[in-house]
Amino acid sequence: MSEIRSVTDSELVEPAKVHGARRRSEWVEILHNAWGFNRTRVGVGIFAFILLLAALGPFFAPHSPTEFVAAPFSGPSAGTVLGVDYIGHDVLSRVLWGGRTVLGLAIAATIIGLVLGVSFGLIAGYARRWLDETVMRLLDVLLAFPQIVLVLLLISLLGPKLWLIVLMVGLSHAPRIARVSRAAALEVVQRDFVRAAEALGEIKPRILFFEVLPNITSPLLVEFGLRLTYSIGLIAALSFLGFGLQPPAADWGLMINENRIGITVQPWAVVLPVSLIAILTIGTNLIADGLGRALIGIERESGGPS
Amino acid sequence: MSDEIETRARKAARRSLTRRDFLKGVGATGAGLAFGPLLASCGGEESTTTSTAAQGGGGGPKTGGSLKVGIVGGSAKDTLDPHLATTEPDIALNTQLYDSLMGWDQDYVLKNRLAEEVSANPEATVWTVRLRPDLSWHDGKPVTSDDVVYTFQRIVDPANPLSGAASLGGLKPENVIKVDERTVEFRLDIPNAILTEGFAYRQNMLIPVGFDPTKPVGCGPFKLGEFKPGQQATFSPFDGFWEDGPYVADLTIIEFADEAARVNAFLSDTVHMISQLPRAQVTVVEGSAGHKVLRASTGAWQPFTMRIDEKPYSDVRVRQAFRLIVDRQQMLEQAYSGYGWVANDMYSPFDPGFPKDLPQREQDLEKAKSLLKEAGYADLTVELVTSDAVGGSAVSAAQVFAEQAKGAGVTVNLNKVDPGVFYGDQYLTWPFAQDFWYTRNYLAQAAAGTLPTAPYNETHWKDEEWQKLVEEAYRTPDDAKRNELVAAAATIEYERGGLIVWAFNDQIDAYNEKIGGVKPDKSGTPLTGFRFHKVHFA
Amino acid sequence: MPPLLKLILMRFGLGALTLFLVSVVVFAATQALPGDTARAILGKDATPQRLELLRQQLGLDKPVPQQYWEWLSGVAQGDLGDSLVQQGMSVTSLLRDRVKNSAALVLIAALVSVPFSIIIGALSAVWRDSKFDMTASVGNLTLAALPEFVIGIGLVLVFATNVFKVLPAVSRLDPSVSMFRQLHLLILPALTLTLAVAPYISRILRASMIEVLESEYVMMARLKGLSNHLVLWRHALPNAIVPTLQVIALNLAWLAGGVVVVEYLFGFPGIGQALVDAVANRDLPMIQALCLLIAGVYVVLNLMADLGTILVSPRLRTGLR
Repeated sequence: MSEIRSVTDSELVEPAKVHGARRRSEWVEILHNAWGFNRTRVGVGIFAFILLLAALGPFFAPHSPTEFVAAPFSGPSAGTVLGVDYIGHDVLSRVLWGGRTVLGLAIAATIIGLVLGVSFGLIAGYARRWLDETVMRLLDVLLAFPQIVLVLLLISLLGPKLWLIVLMVGLSHAPRIARVSRAAALEVVQRDFVRAAEALGEIKPRILFFEVLPNITSPLLVEFGLRLTYSIGLIAALSFLGFGLQPPAADWGLMINENRIGITVQPWAVVLPVSLIAILTIGTNLIADGLGRALIGIERESGGPS
Repeated sequence: MSDEIETRARKAARRSLTRRDFLKGVGATGAGLAFGPLLASCGGEESTTTSTAAQGGGGGPKTGGSLKVGIVGGSAKDTLDPHLATTEPDIALNTQLYDSLMGWDQDYVLKNRLAEEVSANPEATVWTVRLRPDLSWHDGKPVTSDDVVYTFQRIVDPANPLSGAASLGGLKPENVIKVDERTVEFRLDIPNAILTEGFAYRQNMLIPVGFDPTKPVGCGPFKLGEFKPGQQATFSPFDGFWEDGPYVADLTIIEFADEAARVNAFLSDTVHMISQLPRAQVTVVEGSAGHKVLRASTGAWQPFTMRIDEKPYSDVRVRQAFRLIVDRQQMLEQAYSGYGWVANDMYSPFDPGFPKDLPQREQDLEKAKSLLKEAGYADLTVELVTSDAVGGSAVSAAQVFAEQAKGAGVTVNLNKVDPGVFYGDQYLTWPFAQDFWYTRNYLAQAAAGTLPTAPYNETHWKDEEWQKLVEEAYRTPDDAKRNELVAAAATIEYERGGLIVWAFNDQIDAYNEKIGGVKPDKSGTPLTGFRFHKVHFA
Repeated sequence: MPPLLKLILMRFGLGALTLFLVSVVVFAATQALPGDTARAILGKDATPQRLELLRQQLGLDKPVPQQYWEWLSGVAQGDLGDSLVQQGMSVTSLLRDRVKNSAALVLIAALVSVPFSIIIGALSAVWRDSKFDMTASVGNLTLAALPEFVIGIGLVLVFATNVFKVLPAVSRLDPSVSMFRQLHLLILPALTLTLAVAPYISRILRASMIEVLESEYVMMARLKGLSNHLVLWRHALPNAIVPTLQVIALNLAWLAGGVVVVEYLFGFPGIGQALVDAVANRDLPMIQALCLLIAGVYVVLNLMADLGTILVSPRLRTGLR
């Protein structure tokens, strides 16, 4: 899904025109402006709610997520407020436990994607010429695969292992993040302070890390929000397809797949995890949208592209 | 001798699991999955016409009507050559067209079918089969001993042994000998007291001399109408069939690739019966007017397998402790939704030699703990390898085991692997894993799964005392004596074997109330063992 | 050489290069399977003879570049090899119907979602900051956030299993019946795909339309006294669509991958379901064929959108870019 989003959104969110003077304060300003939009606040509220649910939920779970409390697909009763799942686990307890993996893995994958993408993008943007061409052309090849197909292709290689899935989801983000950070870096590397650093003979990695990177944080902030949304969707989808978390793990994506067959007799086991994934992605997307708007606003102010 | 056993073991009752079959089970969603198609390992029916369940008052079952049956989908590779049949659709189609010398009845008792009499010499090396009189093929020709000779020579042809050859250990083509028009002698190189089981396999059904699978002629209850592989086949009744029936005017068998489509077709009365009802749909069918669930106890099982030559399972106390960890009733309830019956760490429950009197093993966590402590494994952590390829319920059972093991202080980490990995090059080397087997009698099962030479000896089971008993049983045609040997062997496995046999799962199908003559079949072959000639409209 | 022709040829060259690299990626990813591929495939049925046979069949005994070359030349001739799971069946024969089914599904989703989202996007631009615009914006934002299987399960819950039981929850097509007689089976999967792509098209169209509406050219048309209706639908909208062609093409290409989860969810017999099965069973030739197909659709659609934009847009036609 993300290639579409990356196109629309990177069009919405053209890379920042960054000025040396605004170096550190810009992203603070963006955060501040973004907070001014209602949608951002709603998004943050939702995200905080899910984060709390995932983090603290296990402490409130009435049962262990792997304990058997009733016959499979029994409906709600006194001990099990939301009934039990396909094998007899308490649905409520599994829901309370099942957010950790969704959030944790998605955040990890997003960070990996960001690190990879920014590295490629910076190198390409700074190096220019053939290295730029080669790196971007190779990343474009990866873009030809829808993210889920790319991840499935790589899973078929090594089997569904958790670390692999996180890595692969991250890798599948890399080309898109690389495009954004390259575009932003192209702008920055021509600035005086970079030239100055070069003239002073600083080594290239230092220049990239200490001079260029701090100046492209704003578009990356927006990217992080967006990629997090898709990471959640992708990782949940992989569990849903049976390639993600494996039983007896409590995980919202896996729960949907496991209990789908009993959707008519015990809908709670599906409805609840589906709803939670839905509002979580809506929340992160609202944050990303707010950040994107704030970024555009700042660019307009400072005479960037309209 | 051990060579002979080995040959027989490898051949006998080789599990007819093809990749296509087990993968089919995998494609379906995890949990409520019915057990994969039950294959050819078993089959058969009673020889005499026991009650065809006449419901409609005086004149016996009602005749007429078009019966439509929905089964698990096959593919373009569906075959009407009974000797090549492997999948559920193959078995369903071929059972209509052909018949076998012997067969298992609904209680998994071996009975004569086309054979009128089967006898052996005291050494179990020469078997004599006499056909029923007045049998005929669909084209009107009589069934003779020439056809029997042709059939079995084709199956055991050393240049191209067919899958049924495994069940006919010790038989060479030149040693199938016509005695007269109705009598055939089978002379074996080695004693084989369970050759009769080979006669009952559905891959060993009789075909006429000069058989052509593209224009299939059999002596079964139905003649072929139109056949579209992977989709459907139509049949008309064969008047010359030896047993009572068929009662219906015509029969259509429809293959459904998709589980939900099969159920929907049934609930909307497009078909009258379906095989392999997913367990999660049982309540839906029960709650739907006019539709009934057909539940059959079988001898099919999904054991946990512990390698007896690998630590910690090499210590018999660990194996005993693990067996005591299992709360079988709970495992049955959670993993099979209760559709099955509790087992006692021994397979082949319908074998006449099965030791029924041994005490049922129950969960005893304290004893398990002390056994583990004695063995020096007080804080044990093990890995249990599981896979959807074993069956969706197997993964559930593994989860239940892991949970129950906590009570004995054992940490069980589940390792759920891809089908290709589970049955890949590490299969039969997993220290602690699962597997699945269909209904089979003891000696055939031992040859397939527990003799040191068995092709699928998951536990690496090797026990001299046990082996002597089994080898002797193979040579003992006397039923009573052989049963004693089987009981003794099974008891040894009960005491120190590497398998945790915790339940036998039910076969679950569904049928419309308008249909009579439908009975559970213990072999696990769906829908009255696919014997649709017994089925009639009420 | 005229600059336009040069530009077009260059795009074709780039497309071909991308396709080639895609094939390298697919081949490298699948053939690099660790361990004994043949044994993993045969599993319980592995005998030395069958292993040997399969190794030969897969060409595993040859050097890797040669394997790649033989595979690629096979692909070029439409020979994608035999399925390893359904032995003896060629991938081409197994996929033929599935490709048709998926194509029908994607086509329906495209035919519904493209006009629908163009209209929503255009109206949002015309009635900028109105209630309609706000609602559409929130709707877009929400739908864009949701993973497609979440949308699909939501639709199943509402229309198939729990609230209204009016549509089938499972879309298993009967191969012996014409697709047109079972279109009801396509409604929910097609609707899921529609809802998954519509937000992107309508969002980009809205932005593009706003730009066009603010352009001098539209102002001029208005000043000339052309009717509002005429200005909007005859002049502004077509001009707003051109810059979004790329996005629309990308969305259609995305549908080719989006079918993976949606087909799995509805049990729809198409290429997406085939890919999930093939990955679970490690059916390498099947995985190779499907990934190549899906990526190929993306490259070709992208190329077409590129060319379309070049041909339609006067600015680019003069080679300004």
